[in-house]
Amino acid sequence: MRPPARVSCSRSATLVGRALLPLSALLAAALPAVAATLVVRVQTPDGHALPGAVVTVHPLEGPPRHATPVRAVMDQVNRSFAPDLLVIPAGSTVEFPNSDSVSHQIYSFSPAKRFQLPLYRGKPYPPVHFEQPGVVTLGCNIHDEMLAYLLVTDAPWYGRTGDGGSWSAEVPHGHYRVELWHPRLREDESDLRRELTVGDADRAELTVRLSRSPQPAPLTGRPHSWDY
Amino acid sequence: MERRLYRFASLLILLAAAGASRATDWEVSLDTRLVTSDAYPSFMDGGLGTVRFGSDDSGLRLGRARFAVTQPLGEVFSAHLDASVFDDKDRSALGVTEAYLLFRPYPRGGYRFRLKAGGFYPPVSLENRSSGWESPYTLSYSAINSWLAVEVRTLGVEGTLDWLGTRTGHAFDLGVTGGVFGWNDRAGVMVASNGFVVTDRQTPLFGRLGQPGVRPLNGAEPFMEIDHRAGVYGGLEARYLDRAVLRVLRYDNRADPTAADSVSHVLAWETRFTSAGLRVEADHGWTAIVQWLGGDTTIAPPSLTLNWPFQSTFALLSKRIGRSTLSARYDRFAVQTNAPEVYGAQDGHAWTAAYIFDANAHWRFTLEWVRVTSSSENREEQGGPPLASETQWQLAIRYALGSAIR
Repeated sequence: MRPPARVSCSRSATLVGRALLPLSALLAAALPAVAATLVVRVQTPDGHALPGAVVTVHPLEGPPRHATPVRAVMDQVNRSFAPDLLVIPAGSTVEFPNSDSVSHQIYSFSPAKRFQLPLYRGKPYPPVHFEQPGVVTLGCNIHDEMLAYLLVTDAPWYGRTGDGGSWSAEVPHGHYRVELWHPRLREDESDLRRELTVGDADRAELTVRLSRSPQPAPLTGRPHSWDY
Repeated sequence: MERRLYRFASLLILLAAAGASRATDWEVSLDTRLVTSDAYPSFMDGGLGTVRFGSDDSGLRLGRARFAVTQPLGEVFSAHLDASVFDDKDRSALGVTEAYLLFRPYPRGGYRFRLKAGGFYPPVSLENRSSGWESPYTLSYSAINSWLAVEVRTLGVEGTLDWLGTRTGHAFDLGVTGGVFGWNDRAGVMVASNGFVVTDRQTPLFGRLGQPGVRPLNGAEPFMEIDHRAGVYGGLEARYLDRAVLRVLRYDNRADPTAADSVSHVLAWETRFTSAGLRVEADHGWTAIVQWLGGDTTIAPPSLTLNWPFQSTFALLSKRIGRSTLSARYDRFAVQTNAPEVYGAQDGHAWTAAYIFDANAHWRFTLEWVRVTSSSENREEQGGPPLASETQWQLAIRYALGSAIR
């Protein structure tokens, strides 16, 4: 499997987008004294690693925890969102600059956050706040091929699987609910949820093998002059 | 109406100029061709050749000089203008191939509405997806889409309602389209007189076919309103992610075949067709398109009803490798008739192969070979053979500049 396509992004955007996430996860996880490494692996039905899947970890006991909100950037480069998937804690802000020479008109009609950024180039708008957890699907009202996702989460630990299909975080011993999400996954939500106990060992592992192959990744390399 | 259209086009250019600071998108391109052909003279030269350039056209030719502009008007309206010169030996100067206003409100609750008003192509082609209604696969369009380029255009309004399933967690989008139009009462003249052709010349709105006084087209104007009855079309579209598009359209210009223009006395042609097409794109740059179109056109001068059923199908396979695109297409087409001496009957097929090299965003080089084999009653009547093969080679060099071309 390939990571989500259209992540042909500018370097600065990628760095901001990616660097903030593990940092916040670490901040949240740094609080407890007794910790173990939780490793989550995601595999396709034929056993291949699935990179890019979003992993969120919710404690099922103890005081409520939340990750620290972040300031992320989702750029628009070559008529694509860059990156085309971000996972952010509730309360975070995302800036949507347009680095293209053509104008874009960004919208979301997702229940978690409905908003519009009227026709623009450059960086004329302040960052958008995302308070409510859920999936926010973004599009451009002019260029249909542009599609991106924000997963707003209230989980204290979150991240995305790497090239090897795994993600890990330091979590205190306890009982957890692990949820997976990716726009191309075809399983029911309940099939992407697992509960596990991180016991006395210093390492806990969870491998989720999907029952259905993910949808094909967006096509790459199509000329931008084409109508969708 | 023609004057009105040019006023509308001028207004669009003025708006574009006035709003130049506000996100105007523009594009100009120059496409020159080195042509060698053994074909009969084309329909623009009064011939029955089935490709754009006849043997007399061999040499250096202008493929197309094009200027296009898109101007946002406020937040949810935009104006679009596409103007071109096709250099038919100075028979057509600058012409507008499409000019329309687009209303595109933001999607709500998973649904999106679009309204177009002006002159534009009805949603039939799955091949002509590049700017300027060009094909990114070949220079010459399929017989189906060549016919649309020559004599079919919507001069009216078109509404589209889409259900954006891919924005709401599904793998499909669905759309329904309806159009109401006028000024296309002469669509059908070309297919009944010359039959299908494989060309990339797009008739400008209110442009002419051939030369006045030269048979068979006699300078026919496909974009005329004769009977004051609006034509309609309705279509459906389904998309699977960004990989497959299925499109079906039923078109009826609802012309009264007994009506004649009060000035020129030319008849209205009642033209109806159904088209269906599927385009599938896969990883590694593969594209496959199959498209079918079938319909008929009718005129009914006093005490006579003449009818020409027509059908065409094509299959195209294309592969993109880096900056290169290799494409091959097979077309079949046929026109039948009940007219005396089977006037206009045609049966044929065409092979097209093209290699496109995009050196960068500005420069494109294309080498294309087209061979059309057809039988034509009208060609035989003109003293030609009933069955003929015509071959056209083109080497095209195109330079493009624009706000989005870097």
